[in-house]
Amino acid sequence: MRCSFTLAAFLLAASASATTQQTLRFVACPIYRDTDVGRKSGCWLADDPVSGQRYDVSKSPGKPDWDHAILVEGHPAQTQDDACGGVVLDAVRVSALNEHCPRTVIPQESYAGRKYALPKRRLSPSYVERKQAQKPFVERTFTIGFELGNDYPTYEHSDYYLETATFYALDTSPKSITIVGYADTTAAIVSGIKIVEEIAIAKRRAERVAQWMKMRGVPADRIHVSWKAAKSPSEADVFDELFAPSFRRAEITVVPSKP
Amino acid sequence: MKRIANFSFAFCAGIFAISLGVAALADPQSATNERWWSPGEKREFPARLDYKNDQGSLRLILLGGIADTSEHPFFKAIGPNGRACVTCHQPADGMSLSAKSASERWDRNGSSDPLFASFDGSNCPSLPNAERASHSLLIEHGLIRIARPWPPKDFAGKVTKPDFKLEVVRDPTGCNTDAQWGINSPRHQVSVFRRPRPVANFKFIEAIAFAIDPKRGLPVPVDPETNKPVGGNLTADGRVLSLKSQLNDAAGTHLEFLKHVSSEDVAQILDFERKLYVAQQFSNGAGELDTDGAMGGPYKLEISPPGRLGSQGIAIWSEFEAWERMPDSVKAKLPAERIAFRESVARGARLFREGTFKISDTTPFNQPALFGNPTRNACALCHNMSQMGMDVSPGQVDIGTTVVPFADSQPHLPLFKITCLAKPHPYYGKSFYSYDPGFALTTGRCSDVGQITLQALRGLSARSPYFASGSAKDLHAVIEYYDRRYNIGYTKQERQDLVNLLSVL
Repeated sequence: MRCSFTLAAFLLAASASATTQQTLRFVACPIYRDTDVGRKSGCWLADDPVSGQRYDVSKSPGKPDWDHAILVEGHPAQTQDDACGGVVLDAVRVSALNEHCPRTVIPQESYAGRKYALPKRRLSPSYVERKQAQKPFVERTFTIGFELGNDYPTYEHSDYYLETATFYALDTSPKSITIVGYADTTAAIVSGIKIVEEIAIAKRRAERVAQWMKMRGVPADRIHVSWKAAKSPSEADVFDELFAPSFRRAEITVVPSKP
Repeated sequence: MKRIANFSFAFCAGIFAISLGVAALADPQSATNERWWSPGEKREFPARLDYKNDQGSLRLILLGGIADTSEHPFFKAIGPNGRACVTCHQPADGMSLSAKSASERWDRNGSSDPLFASFDGSNCPSLPNAERASHSLLIEHGLIRIARPWPPKDFAGKVTKPDFKLEVVRDPTGCNTDAQWGINSPRHQVSVFRRPRPVANFKFIEAIAFAIDPKRGLPVPVDPETNKPVGGNLTADGRVLSLKSQLNDAAGTHLEFLKHVSSEDVAQILDFERKLYVAQQFSNGAGELDTDGAMGGPYKLEISPPGRLGSQGIAIWSEFEAWERMPDSVKAKLPAERIAFRESVARGARLFREGTFKISDTTPFNQPALFGNPTRNACALCHNMSQMGMDVSPGQVDIGTTVVPFADSQPHLPLFKITCLAKPHPYYGKSFYSYDPGFALTTGRCSDVGQITLQALRGLSARSPYFASGSAKDLHAVIEYYDRRYNIGYTKQERQDLVNLLSVL
């Protein structure tokens, strides 16, 4: 029964939110709840300063750092559990900001925590046989998402998509590979903090992706790199229908030389 | 003459052992010369070789063996200082070098032993080589001087501009402020002091399970010679890309062999190193380590595929799972203390992979990789390679053993003040102190200071002290360090279980 009223009220709002695909967006200091049901089972929580609602952001691919405020962007889960003590966001991203936070660790209390399960978007070890791309080869565009202000490929998320694109490029002897980095240069005030990216991060994203592909053996002379401010969101699966994070991306278009 | 006499005895004993189909088992109490391999000795390296140590005995398996090592380039002195590779990679010491062995060599031969070559077997080459004090780090801590260029150079030898300033705060060896060998000398070298890494089990050490290093957010480097992705598990600071590069690096420094090693010698050395497996085979507490369902010892290494991720395949140290619940029929044969020790090893193995604690402020896990700071995980987060305990996504991690304030006090080592010139270090801030900047001496990045390459965890009982700077004098000290660093709160029994586990690897 714990927080049942809050949760019920929230789910009403969440339902409306999901319909309109409004991304919940706020800045907060992260709270680590020290649950222990095996590896990677600690909970990450954040309180929305406007509503006072506590959210469970543990399902974000990128995790918080207890020294820094986080930008939370997410959708509430249709099915809520109470494993961590907050409204669960299941499509969720957190980005570490420069703003300093006090380290906050709270005990497990009566919350069970959540057992780690291998995510779908994860790399397979190289000793597991890989399925090669099948003919006919067609032009494909792959999208990579990033956290705010970051060009680091998120573990068990962006790295998966980057390798998928890389393998496609390796399998199809492409005529060209176009990499475009994007930055979210439109400023927004979130929880009283200005959220905006410099165009330079778009360049870094494109160059990081290009470096990755070159290091994996994709011919450098086929790769063309550019960057720009994102003017529109992306509907790529990688963003799980989250609107705001989709402005922070890189797109890789692989054009095979032969079908 | 004494050496020849001892050699004859050893040779005959070896032949005798082989004729019986058993290993040559050296007696550590009386046959120090037999344990020690001097350069150029005419000696057989059999296919199976056992050496006693304090915890039981170590076994080396060398596929095919070598009938006579005297002309083998791993065993003969190829440089002017009289050393061979084997000088610092002794079979009885798990192909590393224990501080105890170094001390015994000094007591036996003093500075005339090639081990104490002034270039890196003394605290600084400018010190009087005949004096014991000049070799105190090697004799007392098993540490070899590693001279790194400053500013750093990349894999291709190109100078990189570091994003941190390095100042010598304390210089007990005198080498970092030395007019001939110091940072400001014409050589522009930083002297750090490290334990020799074991030269064995390379099938595992060279293996990678992922061509991506999630700790760096990039693919692993590619060896320009083979054009294949390679791991960074070979040296403490990741300064070489391949075993061949490591060999040339070692020959040019530790052996003072300034020419490149011939391609024939390279091939022979690499062939030897890649055919050699080392692990503890017998435990005083547990008995044979590959019995009653357990799968310890080096034979299992020889026949197993390398580079497997423990969390998705063969669980790390599940070699000892059968000892968790031995059948009554097995227990009936064993004394109570042996049963208790085996159960302790099995508990230690489970604790190693399942006993979680909060891992925090550890680059690059907690930052820049977005694993979370803190993140709850077990020893097996980093030590994740089945049967070896290295990282299948090879690389370096800062657990604090060489950085103040986490590091144990090491007054015998140089201390450097690190000042980040661009972004502060994510956890230590703008200025902090280090005994050995580790990986940062390769990359020039302030955020990499203190990162040290994970070690293979086999044959530990043969090669104390531990950690790159030898700061843990025994296995208890290793566990105590982790307990303190990560505020784990192990019980006395848990500590002992982990120590017992490590002792049988």
